[in-house]
Amino acid sequence: MKATEHDADERRLVEAAQRDPRRFAGLYEANFRRVYAYVARRVGSREEAEDLTAEVFHQALAGLGRFAWQGAPFVAWLLGIASHLLAHRWQRATTQPEVLSDDLELAAVDDQAERQALFAQMLDRLPPDQRRVLEGRFFEQRSIRELAQELGRSEGAVKQLQFRALETLRNHMRDRRE
Amino acid sequence: MNNSLIDRLDESIDARLAGRSSAAVAEFRELLWVVDELRYVPRQAFHAALRADILRTADRGTSLALRSEPASPVSVAKPRGSDYESIIPPLFVTGSGSLPIRGSHLAVSFALHVVALALVAASGWWMVENRTVVRTRVAQLIPGSSDYPLPIAPGKIGGGGGGGDQDKMAASRGAAPRFAAEQLTPPAVVVRNEDPKLPAEPTLIGSPTMILSPSDKYGDSMAAVLAPPSNGTGSGGGIGSGHGGGVGAGTGPGLGAGEGGGLGGGVYTVGGGVSAPRPIFDPDPEYSDEARKAKFQGNVELFAVIGPDGRPRDLRVIRSLGMGLDQKALDAVWKWRFAPAMKDGHAVAVQVSIEVAFRLY
Repeated sequence: MKATEHDADERRLVEAAQRDPRRFAGLYEANFRRVYAYVARRVGSREEAEDLTAEVFHQALAGLGRFAWQGAPFVAWLLGIASHLLAHRWQRATTQPEVLSDDLELAAVDDQAERQALFAQMLDRLPPDQRRVLEGRFFEQRSIRELAQELGRSEGAVKQLQFRALETLRNHMRDRRE
Repeated sequence: MNNSLIDRLDESIDARLAGRSSAAVAEFRELLWVVDELRYVPRQAFHAALRADILRTADRGTSLALRSEPASPVSVAKPRGSDYESIIPPLFVTGSGSLPIRGSHLAVSFALHVVALALVAASGWWMVENRTVVRTRVAQLIPGSSDYPLPIAPGKIGGGGGGGDQDKMAASRGAAPRFAAEQLTPPAVVVRNEDPKLPAEPTLIGSPTMILSPSDKYGDSMAAVLAPPSNGTGSGGGIGSGHGGGVGAGTGPGLGAGEGGGLGGGVYTVGGGVSAPRPIFDPDPEYSDEARKAKFQGNVELFAVIGPDGRPRDLRVIRSLGMGLDQKALDAVWKWRFAPAMKDGHAVAVQVSIEVAFRLY
């Protein structure tokens, strides 16, 4: 029943965006994490993942008028675009279906997106210095030395901050699983 | 946790971020899992910047390109296509249509389709026009004559003779008398004057060095009739269907189908100065219905004499194929016409074998 309601809501969002492209923001918010998770697992770097994710949404916006509801969720259409772009980027013929309908794959993408959302929430709850270290290390690919200079601390202290932040995240995830 | 372990954790993180594998310490395993997950968490700044870009694009309506610099310091990738028309719309399905158009690809694809269609049409036309392709060739009985051609004689050479006493029956089979420089008595199977005043041995005019198998039973060695005895339908004495006191179908006191005495004449074989006849009109034989239904293929070999006029005669089957194809081969070859075989500048009759191939395609 919930799935049916969700489908109906999504369908209304799609139809609204087809009438008025500015309503596409709703679809973007609803599907951003899933598209990013799908792409990020298949490319080598954060920069590539961001490039491809942006391209997927721009192409989806451009081709939204041709989208016809066929029962599959809207995210499957977005992931189909992502598949084409990935195949094109790797310079090989695409063998993937244009619209993914594999429930297992969609479920895996949803799972990844949910974990990412959790991590994002937990990052926000970290003390500012710990959060800054993790963002610097994993989002900006900066070294311990660079972060030490930025924060005005020793490298050993920054490593301690990094360790404690990771430990906090691990403990949160443990608690959720238990 | 002591500093050395924290250093090792940091080394493992560095390896993870650089895409290298590292020996995971058991104690770090869960922490490194967290590291892996963090690598896939999108940046909030990117999320916000992309949202702003999408909204700007949506505001511009159908324009897809982001030509202005993004307001956010976070860079956002622009779509590969420069405008909406650069995206191929799918023909038969609803989908993204995300592959960009390339003119060269379209041109190559169009050319390949044209070539493929042309090949299909041409092969179909060829199959209709050539449902049965029959290959024919004239096989020489004596191959290799062209390697050692004999010189052309200054005059017409040959020999032969013929005779008979106008009997109603063809000459009977037997041996020819010996050759001699002169002929006092022509040979005869049926002796009309059993009490001659001056008996003489029957001879044929020709070189005495030519020695034939001796026999007292005279006749035409080429005759098919074994009995009853007959001098043949010719005239002028002798044996055979010719004229002139010899034996055979020719003219003169010699032996054979030629003329003027000696031995010779008749049908040649190819080689030794005799060229092969060349088909100049050789319509294909038809396939028999029976053989076509059975998809039967093979070769029929025929014997034929190609006369000086280029027409085949004395056709018969040497190697049969069956299923009605022998008769079809005979019917076709009867209609053939040849440039005749040549000997010393003159057209002569030759015997050849003709192989007719029946193939279904």
